[in-house]
Amino acid sequence: MSVAITSSPMQHGQLETNRLMLLVIAACLPGVGIGTWFFGYGIIINITLAALAALVLEAMLLTLRKRELKFYLGDNSALVTAMLFGITMPPGSIWWMVLAGIAFAIVIGKHAYGGLGQNAFNPAMCGYLFLLLSFPLEMTSWHIPSDTLVEGASFSPLGWQGLQQSLLLSFPFLAADETTVQLTIDGLTMATPLIEFKMSAQNALLAAWETELPLFARSSGTGWELVNIGYLLGGLLLLYKRIISWHIPASIIGTITLLSLLMYAPGSTAIYGTTYLHLFGSATMICAFFIATDPVSAATSNLGRIVYGIIIGISIYAIRVWGSYLDSIAIAVLFGNFCAPLLDHYLRPRVYGRQKASLPGGKRRTG
Amino acid sequence: MSQQQHSIKIARKLRAHRIFGGIKPLALKARSLRSRIMPAPIPEILILPLLQHQGSPAAPIVNVGDQVLKYQLLAAAEGPPSVPVHAPTSGEITAITDSPIPGHGEQSGRCILLRADGEDNAIDLQPLPDHRALNHWQLLERVNSAGICGMGGAGFPTTEKLRASMERGIELLIINAVECEPHISADEALIRERAAAVVSGAEILQSICLANRCVIAIERDKHDAVKQLRDSLESSSVELLELPSKYPTGGEKQIIQAVTGLEVPHDALPMDIGVLVQNAGTAYAVHDAITEGKPCISRITTLTGAPLQTPKNFDALIGTPVSFLFALCGIEESLHTGSIMGGSLMGLDLVSTDVPLIKTSNCLIAKSRAEFPESKPEQACIRCGYCATACPARLLPQQLYAYSCNQDLEQLEQLNLADCIECGACDYVCPSHIPLVQNFRASKQTLAIRGQHSQTSAQWRRRFQFHQYRLKKEADAAQENKSAHRTAPEADYEEGGFSRDKARQEITAAVERVATRRRNRITSSGESDQERH
Repeated sequence: MSVAITSSPMQHGQLETNRLMLLVIAACLPGVGIGTWFFGYGIIINITLAALAALVLEAMLLTLRKRELKFYLGDNSALVTAMLFGITMPPGSIWWMVLAGIAFAIVIGKHAYGGLGQNAFNPAMCGYLFLLLSFPLEMTSWHIPSDTLVEGASFSPLGWQGLQQSLLLSFPFLAADETTVQLTIDGLTMATPLIEFKMSAQNALLAAWETELPLFARSSGTGWELVNIGYLLGGLLLLYKRIISWHIPASIIGTITLLSLLMYAPGSTAIYGTTYLHLFGSATMICAFFIATDPVSAATSNLGRIVYGIIIGISIYAIRVWGSYLDSIAIAVLFGNFCAPLLDHYLRPRVYGRQKASLPGGKRRTG
Repeated sequence: MSQQQHSIKIARKLRAHRIFGGIKPLALKARSLRSRIMPAPIPEILILPLLQHQGSPAAPIVNVGDQVLKYQLLAAAEGPPSVPVHAPTSGEITAITDSPIPGHGEQSGRCILLRADGEDNAIDLQPLPDHRALNHWQLLERVNSAGICGMGGAGFPTTEKLRASMERGIELLIINAVECEPHISADEALIRERAAAVVSGAEILQSICLANRCVIAIERDKHDAVKQLRDSLESSSVELLELPSKYPTGGEKQIIQAVTGLEVPHDALPMDIGVLVQNAGTAYAVHDAITEGKPCISRITTLTGAPLQTPKNFDALIGTPVSFLFALCGIEESLHTGSIMGGSLMGLDLVSTDVPLIKTSNCLIAKSRAEFPESKPEQACIRCGYCATACPARLLPQQLYAYSCNQDLEQLEQLNLADCIECGACDYVCPSHIPLVQNFRASKQTLAIRGQHSQTSAQWRRRFQFHQYRLKKEADAAQENKSAHRTAPEADYEEGGFSRDKARQEITAAVERVATRRRNRITSSGESDQERH
């Protein structure tokens, strides 16, 4: 009998970090599936490319940092970063942009800070913002396979031709001749409903946006609300599995709902959209359940999480409505990340048997 | 008078309150509850540590070679807080020596070794069927002489707790039958089979500490035990409160919160808010001590774990070697990888199974590789915050961990590390296998050492300052003297009744006195030494 002395507790729960990461990836799948159904293979190409690159980069950096490769690579955190980054990238983004973004995410956003657990900012959003600042036009237009290019009505973005087009968008060098690519790109550009809405609102096309702009209609190949419902379902799965707590999603969604209800003025020339448009017309759900809840860069106490969610919610709304950037999520989340250490420092829960939450920094002994 | 000191409000009808945090580990009690409590046979050698409780060890009053009878006092309590030790069976004292005892790492302590003669001859006991015949001081004395300490695991001398509570005045006595550790079923088995005795013990404890109310708190899902308790409580003023099963509801601070909704202030004791908590096993031991006059020589303990063929609860004598009890359950040595005394979440890892069962041992777990795999390598903390959600003290283990890695003692103090009860809930939920509690224990020790250091340094500083002050004072005095000399020499001496001759005489007399005293001491030293022994 060999005895290895351990100290209590000697029993442990089943949930492990690497499994937790896999569950997050699994919870993304409904949204990714629905997104693919509507927008074609672009998302999957993004994710696959990002994941492969993330694993290679992670392995390289771990080697450089002299860490045990198999153990640290096995925590699956790079895959989660790649997944979130791939989802937020516009489908049909050219391959080197995806690579540049994920490289920034893994190298600068994560390992430069000391790797998993030490990164102050959400790596996927770092990568995204890096691209958004460098390539604003490319990052705000979605290229999706479309039947406008194909003769005949039986076109499906999931079909062979759809795949072909998606691949061509990401890897233009695969094309036999230059003109196909040109044609493809020119014909397929579209933006998210909110962007479309923002632009058209300024043209006073407001009142009947739903009928005039066929953004929510299935026939046009856009399924924004269904995609968001997909991420909502995945998020609920994470909540049910207790991977994430309700505080951050609830406060983000609550803040956005409240603000959009207060500000909404139908018929006006202003640019405020409806609550429904804000919640389901853009990337709100994936932000609330998947991106803002990244524990490493978020606040950790429950009260801190609520305030963190409110900060992100306000930022999202403000940037969307009054800001000049079109994609608010990445900026809002990074802004929340900036605030997180401060929230952690000041919003501590009241400890059992103590009157007040301990305010740090009150009594500093000198000497 | 003292009743007014604490202004606590306890609802007339008790209800279960939520505790902070907590976890729901898979309960593994069923396998040891399949059979009834079995009396364990008497082993050949009993090992009786003199320190089985918190406090100072008892002092042996028997000598090697003495023949002793069952229930006979072997070691008397020495200086509070201490607890006496009695003979679990009749036999011969073979040694009073250092022997391995349960503790962190390889620990040994003074033990009385008793070779059982198999006769089990007992001294006459003084039963007392109705405890109301004695007043509470007399009852307390009986509890004191019976050698009872907290049977739930902490092992605080029961008398001390009761006496302090009597003096302070108590509103509510809570009998803790929660037993939230996933493997332990000793209290559940006890209540299932001997509920009446536990209730009687609760009543006795209530009449000793003069609590206005007494409640037995138990986890809701222990259906058989709850039913038995309810039946036994029909004609009693003792109340019953069922609590949801959640670890660590059975912790003292946590059960108080669960029953009353109150928190024990961090710098106070439960009795300061008018509450006293006693374990159900302790209540049973008190019942035995008062109504049957039996000192504490046995306890009910759970034997469980995958390597045991028949896990069960034993009524075993204190001092029985752990290996003896494992053998009674049919241990599969090939599966056996280690042993735990206590629960899997707060228990002690045993270095060897030669250690004895002591008064606080509520459970013995034989570990197997499948159930207790080797601890996995530590991954990065991803700040998931599960630990903070699980912490029953509402601490922030993840921040504590970061600061304890950096040895930032100031932050650790500000985050109230001292309030950690080491329940292990944070460790249990940590997805990155970080040994949080181990870290916190080490940091607590560092803090304690630093506290000592600052105390000693403060003491030295005070001494030095006093030294400086004294030197200054002496210098001042000398200065004054000098100036006094200059103004009035010689004459003053005479006036103050001081002359050189007189001084010389006094000096010789003193020298003489000392010399005589020294001579006397040398001649009488032999006697006085003996007296001292």
